[in-house]
Order: sequence, then structure tokens, then C-alpha cells
Amino acid sequence: MILIRDSRGDILGEEDSDEMVGYRQQPGKLPFSKPGSGGKSRFSEPRDESMIPESQGGEKSQPWGDHRHDEVVSGRVIGKPTALVDSRWKVTGQAQYGDDIRLPGEIIGRIVRSPHHYARVLSIDASKALELPGVLAVATGQDATRAFGVLPVTKDEHAMAQDKVRHVGDLVACVAAVDEASAREACRLIEVEYEVLDSIHDMRDGLEDSELPIHDRGKYHIGESNIQKRVFQEFGDVEGMKGSAASHSSDWLFAGANHGFTEPHATVAHWDPSGRLTVYTPQQVPHYLHRALADVLEIPMHQINVFRTFVGGGFGGKSDPFPHEMCAAILARKTGRPVRINFDREEVFWVNRGRHPSRIGMSIHSDNEGRISGIETDALIDGGAFASFGHVTTYYNGVLHTAPYEIGGFHYTGARVWTNKPASGAMRGHGAVNSRCAVEVGLDDICEQLNVDPIDFRLANLLPPHSSTITGFRVTSIGMRECLERVREASGWDEKFRNMPLGRGIGVGCGFFISGSGLPIHWDPNKFPHATVHLKIDMDGGVTVHTGAADIGQGSDTVVAQSVAEVLGLPLDMIRVRSRETDTSPVDLGSYSSRVTFMNANAAISAAMEIRGDLIKATSEITGSPEEKLVIGDRRIFRKDDPGVGVSYLEALHKSQEDRGALVSSGSYRTPPMGRAHKGAAAGLAPAYSFSAYVAEVEVDVETGQTRVLKVWAAHDCGKALNPLSVKGQIIGSCHMGMGQVLSEEMRYGRTGHLLNPDFLDYKIPTVHEMPDVYPIIVESNDPEGPFGAKEAGEGPLLPILPAVVNAVYDATGVRVSELPISPDRLHKEIERKCKNAGVSDPLEMEPPRIEHSELQEVLLERGRQHSERDVMRRSVGEPAPYHNGALFGLDPEIPGDEQDSRWTAVVIPPESYLENPGLAGSAWKHVERRKRGVSE
Amino acid sequence: MPPFQLHSPGSIEEAFEIASSLGEAGREFDWVAGGTDLLPNYKWHLNSKSDVISLALVSELNILTETHIGAMVRLHDLAESEKTHAIVRKAAESVASTLIRRSATVGGNLCLDTRCFWFNQTEDWRESIDWCHKCDCGTEADCRVIPNQNTLCVATYQADLAPSLMCLGATIHLASKKGRRSMPMDDFFQLDGMTRNVLEEGEIVTHVTLPDDVSDWNGDYQKLRQRESWDFPEAGVAVAWKKGKDGVSGLRVATTGLESVPGFHKEESESALEDWRGEESVDELAESVRKSVKPVLNTWFPPSYRRKMVRVLTRRACAGMLEDSP
Repeated sequence: MILIRDSRGDILGEEDSDEMVGYRQQPGKLPFSKPGSGGKSRFSEPRDESMIPESQGGEKSQPWGDHRHDEVVSGRVIGKPTALVDSRWKVTGQAQYGDDIRLPGEIIGRIVRSPHHYARVLSIDASKALELPGVLAVATGQDATRAFGVLPVTKDEHAMAQDKVRHVGDLVACVAAVDEASAREACRLIEVEYEVLDSIHDMRDGLEDSELPIHDRGKYHIGESNIQKRVFQEFGDVEGMKGSAASHSSDWLFAGANHGFTEPHATVAHWDPSGRLTVYTPQQVPHYLHRALADVLEIPMHQINVFRTFVGGGFGGKSDPFPHEMCAAILARKTGRPVRINFDREEVFWVNRGRHPSRIGMSIHSDNEGRISGIETDALIDGGAFASFGHVTTYYNGVLHTAPYEIGGFHYTGARVWTNKPASGAMRGHGAVNSRCAVEVGLDDICEQLNVDPIDFRLANLLPPHSSTITGFRVTSIGMRECLERVREASGWDEKFRNMPLGRGIGVGCGFFISGSGLPIHWDPNKFPHATVHLKIDMDGGVTVHTGAADIGQGSDTVVAQSVAEVLGLPLDMIRVRSRETDTSPVDLGSYSSRVTFMNANAAISAAMEIRGDLIKATSEITGSPEEKLVIGDRRIFRKDDPGVGVSYLEALHKSQEDRGALVSSGSYRTPPMGRAHKGAAAGLAPAYSFSAYVAEVEVDVETGQTRVLKVWAAHDCGKALNPLSVKGQIIGSCHMGMGQVLSEEMRYGRTGHLLNPDFLDYKIPTVHEMPDVYPIIVESNDPEGPFGAKEAGEGPLLPILPAVVNAVYDATGVRVSELPISPDRLHKEIERKCKNAGVSDPLEMEPPRIEHSELQEVLLERGRQHSERDVMRRSVGEPAPYHNGALFGLDPEIPGDEQDSRWTAVVIPPESYLENPGLAGSAWKHVERRKRGVSE
Repeated sequence: MPPFQLHSPGSIEEAFEIASSLGEAGREFDWVAGGTDLLPNYKWHLNSKSDVISLALVSELNILTETHIGAMVRLHDLAESEKTHAIVRKAAESVASTLIRRSATVGGNLCLDTRCFWFNQTEDWRESIDWCHKCDCGTEADCRVIPNQNTLCVATYQADLAPSLMCLGATIHLASKKGRRSMPMDDFFQLDGMTRNVLEEGEIVTHVTLPDDVSDWNGDYQKLRQRESWDFPEAGVAVAWKKGKDGVSGLRVATTGLESVPGFHKEESESALEDWRGEESVDELAESVRKSVKPVLNTWFPPSYRRKMVRVLTRRACAGMLEDSP
């Protein structure tokens, strides 16, 4: 219990320390006793020893070992459920989202969009529009001819069409008018002459040569096709995987999905009287927009201020620089007035950047010892009209399923093609979701063939902590085993699996995801940090944090504030985060690849440690105690061995300010050197990886094909839950989002190639009625490099829900689907097929699958036990010996596979023999790049 | 949303006066009740008009008794009222969401505009398909579902109340300046996705009445949809039965969400009743209802699936009848 006191120190009441902190204050009623006293309570609380790690003499047990940040733990906020620091702005309606920005003299911009899938723009006549009263400007592609794109290697977008439009909804021109009605009318009056071209809608057609490919990559163009990117990778003993004891093979079809965030895109651009541009926009990645604006508008970056508004949901859908942001800036420059562009929902679908529609061929092999002897993946992904993040997505579809299992061989072919559809891009679980689903469902089938329990199978095939994957990813902490064990127990798996009546089923799925992309896209990681955080503390004692991390609702402001508060021993309300403007924020890569907590909190901790050092030094000077004896508690710095000796935070602060005024510090984070040397080795590298395991229980109406998810037990290894409330929220939210993709969400294209459902009535996001009971289970593997041990929790938790549901549907019906979403009509068709094959006329008479364990089960149990001991050993010693994927197959764990066995050599260019009979995506390698054919353009 | 002039008459006579003066002035108008259908369509510029007459203040349309349901009764009130017949209640409470039911009305639901993937879209979107027959913007565009023709619109009627009311033998009452008329609910609808029903210009639905013996009828309403909230019925089957001393003495089946009008399956139910063999008859009935509906590809689920589900839904709707059947 904590006693709550008023400004005189009288006791007002008690507060349960387990309750959320940070939400109790009322605006204007904060009981600061006098300026600079620091915090709402006048007196420092005693240190909460239950939050101080054992390594520092506290009571918090550390089953996974010490951490380098243990010594800066003050026990204040980290690990406690904390309301987000900006939540009260949101719940009181005071948060300003993109559409809430209102500037004096503002006018409205609207975009003229292509009604054709693919066409040449022959002429644009805006004369009638310009004659309309209230219309102030019209802009076309001629007003901004420079290309941009989120990845420097694939800049293929323009503010507006240059010569061609590439999908229905592509930007052709834009207008600015005094009000929306005039702007809409003006759009109608702009006469555009098109020459309609043959469009491509099926991703398989993108692999073929085309008369007029959607983009032209010059000498790098692959054949004359619409292939934007292709990947070939072989690791491990690829030949050895053939002739296995069990093999699974399936051809998956995944529909495209949209992020479905609440807030449609909205932006305001304004050139201020000094000639500088400010763009207000709900962006996940303000820095990339900053660069793109400078490029497209041809002005230096320092003349631009990107102001991130509150973001009403991102999920990857607001992480590209967008053409409409350029349009607003162009129109504002033309008119000299602030220009606002708000999207309708179908415009959001036209901009898209959602999950790629994908065709994935997945084969998995197991040998007779129940080891995963190989994974073969062939992923053809439909990029739509632009590259966006697709270069990376193409790699991620392969490399992100090379863990958490130790595998004997890995063969991956991936290709991303352009089609005349809205562009696909990054969406929560970027590139990992679909292929992960295929892997986990494949494993379920392998276990079915081998007659073993799928959880025991997984437990006997996990990589240990501090190991290296087959592709050379350096994996540090792994909480996979504990995730599996805990969901098994919580769900009652052993009683339910293959043991429930027809129509009820249970399934398991795992996940593995990056915790921050290891490579900054725009620079060498050795030349500039990934993340930088600045702190400033003036006389009042409050800490101003400057960070460029974009809070998109995930709570990045909160986690940065928590980190600083923890290190300095301050209450959260003394930290104010300024993360909005590129003018004041240090450059940050933004909110994607689940990097923010890992990188920004690390940077924040190091910035705070610098100030902490100053405070301890000042305290040492005042008290005469040696610095190493001093610790920080709640707004007080004192001797660990004699807590009576110490000074208040403000005393120490004012002492250290004597010679220099406000304290400032800067902390940064960069990834350690990692990864191997093959082409594409950087894709998927991360300083740490998250792990998760889910069990889903479903009910299938076998007569209608309708699936209902009843319960989900969701264990996620986030390293350390800095804010358990947020972690649980992310897990539950991920379940909802993944459930949408597996059950009902799909961007559906009609026979004419038009997107039929660009609205939330027909794009079927599950409602509260569809939502199962989710039981979040937090596993804390204490990552050695994560801030206080933390890893990501925003994307990884999405991955396992898809395969868990698919596997549960199999358990319930015996039908193994390979097309998502499992809408009732699709499942019904599969059930009909199964009934026909089984000679059953009524689906209610189908036999659900049952299991009788084979002898292999015991082998797996024994290996699982041994591995469990191995893992505990490896995580508790400081520097365990190297462990490379391949040890399970008899190789020396201390040496990479390819250095000890020639069969394990990595191959990234397909051999001739492969091209004789390639997979679907693999057939992309039949084409030869123009430059290699001697064609220069 | 395109601008329009809103008229809010306080009585039914005043409403007809406004309608007729607008008609005389050559101005087109729509009636609006709860607005949950009309206003989203207006927002997408779907056949919007210059004038809209609201019936919100016409109090005589608000009456709700066991046998009289006013056109302006809110679906929420209909679903909550103990006076409402159980089948109607079940259908009403399955409509959209709580928020929408609070505003949506009985009359509005009965007169719901037909829906189609190629029609319920924004103006920009529809321009990209060169418009369609139902809202052709003067282009005489073809139907996009059944191509190469622009005489028939096959947009789907996806309202929930009509089949339940049909099964209970409801009579629908209309009124205009010319006078009042009534007809069996089945006769109200016209098989065309554009005209939809027999309402003439200036005419409104005032109320629905149910026969006095309605309390003798039991039944069920089964609805197919992707999600349990918001979604329109992809197929809906209402069944009502009456039992006498010798078992089932009356049986009616009606469907929705499958064609441009709700279907009243009189022949199928009568022939099932003629030679009643309990569960077997139900199976035959379900099969014959399945055969009699002809959905097209313009809603979320494919037509073949919706058709198959009609059989399942019919059997499920009949389940209660078999339970205590002799």
C-alpha cells in the first residue's frame, strides 16, 4: 500500500501499488506543493524492494539471470501496469488526429483518381475546373516529377501520374478549393484523356513477359516481366531433406488484407511566412516522409518540419511517404494557404500497403527421429502497383520462418510481382504472417503423419538460447519453450487435443519475429545510430524527453517516459515527451519492424544514465559518500548501506546545475555487428527476436462451415514486460487482427479486377461478437541487450493465431484448409469434399481426427527433456559456447554448418538444374536481367 | 453528401401536401424515416434527390400493438417490446447493430433499397466500372451482374423483417394523397431491383397489421451472415406454423437476402403440409425452398453457397416445429 498525502503531508487515503499508475491526476488539480518539489507526493516513498532485482540485493527473482540494466532499476515504473501517458488526451477527446488540425485560412484539397486499372494519361485539361468559383489551384504530375519510395532501392512512386496510371484510384491530379463541395465539383470538371492499356490482375501473370511492364527498371529489369524482386536461398543439407519419414506439401492462397485502422489518412501542409514547410500528418515514419518531401519538392530537409499528429492506428499502413502528402504540400505552395486533404475510406483502400495476397507452396520434411529435416518454401506475392516495402517482404516470407526450430535444410524461392492493384506493403507481422501460418500448419500435418503430439514435437526441435539460425541470425534470448509449456497447461491441451466431439477443436501455433530491423534503411549502421533520445532538465526538475519515435497508439511515448523515470527514480508525471516534430526530435527511423521499445528505450536509458551519473556525482559531493555506494530511489539519492544518508532529487539536481544550468544529455542506440555475408543476409537481422505460442479452441458448424473461435491462450515472450498492461493489450489486439485475417478479412477483387469491398461493411473485420476470450500469458526471457530485458510485443503476437485456428479447425472437422480467410463458404466446400471422399452424406456424421501415439512420441519427450536442461544451462551461464543450427543433425555446434560440411554451403543463385523444374515463384529466375542480356535500357 | 432540402411535416396530411407540391414543381424527393439506409446511400451519391421528406414527426405512424405495427416504430423498440410476435422480434433484433436499430424503422426496413457489390460504392468507384443500370447517371449503363442488358436490375433485397411478417399473414397498409390501400405483404414487393415495390410517387407505408390469430402461430427466423453484427442477411428463412389437435395445421415459409424481393414460398409449404410426414417433410420442404431461390453473385457469399444454406436454414427454422410434434 502507498499512502496518498496532500500538499501538507496529511494522509488522504491509500493506493494499491498494484493498480495502474499514471491515470489518477486531474488536469489543473495536480497537488504540487511548491514549484520544483518534484512529483505529486511531497515525500519520497521507500524503495519498492519487490521490484529491485536480486542482483542488486532486491527481492525480484531473476530466473533468467542478471541484466546489464539491473543497476539502474529504481523500482518505480518498469514492470508495473501503466496507463499510456497520452491516454487522457484520447479519452477526453482532446487528442488532435490528422483531421483535427485546423489552421487559419485553410483550404481543402482533393485528388482526381484514375478510373482505369492501367492507362496512359494523354492529356489533362483543368481549364473548366479553374473557372469554377472557389477553386484556387490545380496540380498535376508535371508539378513534381521526382520519384520517391520508402526504400531507396525502389523509388517508383510520384506525387501524381507522370505518364501512366497503374491502378484504379492512382493519383492523376489534385485541386485546392475553398470548401469540400467546390473541390469535389472541380475534380469532376477536370478532363483527363486516357489510353487504356491491358492490365494484369492475377499475380501469376506477373511472372510472364509483358508488352508494357507496369514499371521499367531499366537495365535491372528482370526479363520483360512484372517481377519486382526475386530471391533464391538454400541453406543446410537441401539434398538430405528428401526421402524423409514424413512430408507435408500444400499450396496456399492468402487473400490480401488491409490494416483497417480507425483513422483514414488526413494531412495538412502549410508554408509558413519564413518559407518553411510544415506537414501535419499521422505518420508512423516521419523521417522517411521528411526525406521524400525534400526530394520531391526539391528543397533542403532543414526547410521542412514534419509534424506527427496523434495517429489513429497505423499497423504499417502509415509507414510509407504518401503521394497525397506531397499533393498537399504542392497545393499549399501554389496557393500560399494551408491545404488539408482528408481521405474517404475507399481512398484508404486504394493507398492500401496491406498484407500481400500470396501464393505459398510449403513443403516440410521430418526424418524418422522427428527432426525437421527441411523446409521448402516458394512464395509468390502480389505487390500491386508499387514497390513500397516489397523488397523486404520478399525476403521476410522466407527467412522469418527459419526459427524457432532447428532445421536440417532450407530452400526458399520468393518473387514479388507488380499487378494493377492498390500497392501491398508492410502490415503488422510484415512478411512473416502467411508463411508462418503455412509452416505451423505443415508441422501439424507432419505430427499427424508421425502420430506424435504437436507440442511435444515442437519442444524437441527448438533452438537453444544464444544460438544461430540456419540463415545466420544471431538469436539471444528464447522463451519459446516456456511459451509452449504454459499454453499447454493453461488450455488443458492434453485432455482436449484430438479428443473433442465433431465440431469442437483445439490447435497450436508458434511465432517468431524480429525485434527491430537490424539495418537502418538509409544509412550504414556504423555511421549513424538507429535511435537517439535527448533529455533536458531545468530548475523545475521535470524532464523533457525529445525523441523521434512515433507514438501510433502502441505507447512509445509511454515506454520512453517509463525508461527515463525508472533510471532517474522519478514519478511518470515528471516526464514530458516531445516526439511530434522533426524540428525538435532527433532523427528516428520511426515505428515499424517492432523496433521502438528495443531501440528507443535503450537510447532513453543511456541518455538517462548520463544524467543519473551527474546526480550521483553531485550527491557524492554534497554527502561525501563514494559514488559507487549511492543509489537512486523515489526522488532521493542515498547510500545503499545507510539509506539515512542522502539528498533529495532536487538538491542533487540543483547542485549539478550550478555551473551549467539545465542538464542536457543525449543517448543513442545502434545494433551490434551481426549477420553473415551472403546476398540478402541483412534481411531479417535483428538485435533480438520475440517468440510466441498460442492455443486456440474453436467451434465449427459443420453444416454451414461457420467457425467460431471460443478461447485463445496466448503466450508471448517479450523479454520483459516494461508495461504489462500494454503487452496484454498488444496480445489481445493481435489476436483480433489475426483472427480477422484467418476468418473473414479479405480484399476481394471482382471478375473485372475491381476491389469490391473498399468499406467497413464489406471488409469483414470481426466484431466484439466474434472475439474469443483471450488469456494473455507474458513470458519474460530477459534479453541481454533489450532495455531492462525487453523485446517486442507489437507484431509477433499476431503470427500464431492464424495457424492455431487453422489447426483447431482440423481438430474439429478433419479438414485442413490451405486458403485464407476460412470464410464459411470456403470451409463448407472443403467439408462437402471430405464428406464425398468419406462416403458420408450428412456432415454431422463425419469422424473427427483421433490420435494414437507412435513410438516416436517417447523419443521426442526424452529429447525435449534433454533440450530443456540444455536451455536452462545455456541461459544461466554468462557467455555460453556458440551453438549453430545443425548440431541436432550431428554437426559441431561451435562452427557454422557451411564451414564444416560442404553440403551446407549457402546458395543464393539458382543452379541450372533448379530452373528445369522450378516452383511457381522460383520460375521468376527463368528471366534474365536486361543488363545481363546486353540490353542497357 | 450532396445537399438536399429537408422537410419535416407534423402530420400525415401535411406530408402528402408537401409531396404533391414538390411533385407539381417537378422536384424529385425521397421519404426518410430512420435514415440508416437512405443517408449512407446519399453520401455515396446513389440516386440522391433535391428534397427529402422526413416522417419523424408524424406520430400516427408510431403505434405498436400485438397486431398493429406502425411504420415509424424503431427496430429497437420492436425487438424489445413484449407485444411483438417472437418471430418478428427475433428478426428485428438480428438487424445490423444496436446503434442502427435505435434509429432504423419498420417501414424503412420493409422498403430497404436493394443492395449490390456494383452499386453500393462511392461515386469515384462506380465511375471506374462505367456506372451500372441501377444508378447509371444518365449513361444507360448495363447491369454489371448480368452483363449486356439494362432492363433488369438484380440487386438483392437484404432486409430481415419481411419474411417473418409474411409468414404471420401480415397485411401492409399504404397511404397517399389519393387515399389508402392495403394488401397482403407478399403483393407489396415487385421483382425488380429498382422499383422494388408497388409504392407510387407520394405514397408511404403507414403500418402493418397481423391477423387476430397471430398468437396461435409459432415459428423461427434463421439468418446467414459472416458476422453477428452489422451484416445484412446473405440468406434469411422465416418459418411459421400452427398446430391443431392432429398436429401441424398451418405452415408458411418465406425467405430474404436471395433475390430482389423477399420470397413467400406458398406452394412449397402447402405441398409439404398436404402429405405431412414430420422430419421427412421438413427435409423435402427445405430442398424445395432451396430449389426455388435464385441468388446471384452480388453480395458477400457466393450464390451457390447461399442457396445450399437455404436448405440448412429452413431445416433449422423448422426444428422447433418437430420438437413437440406428435
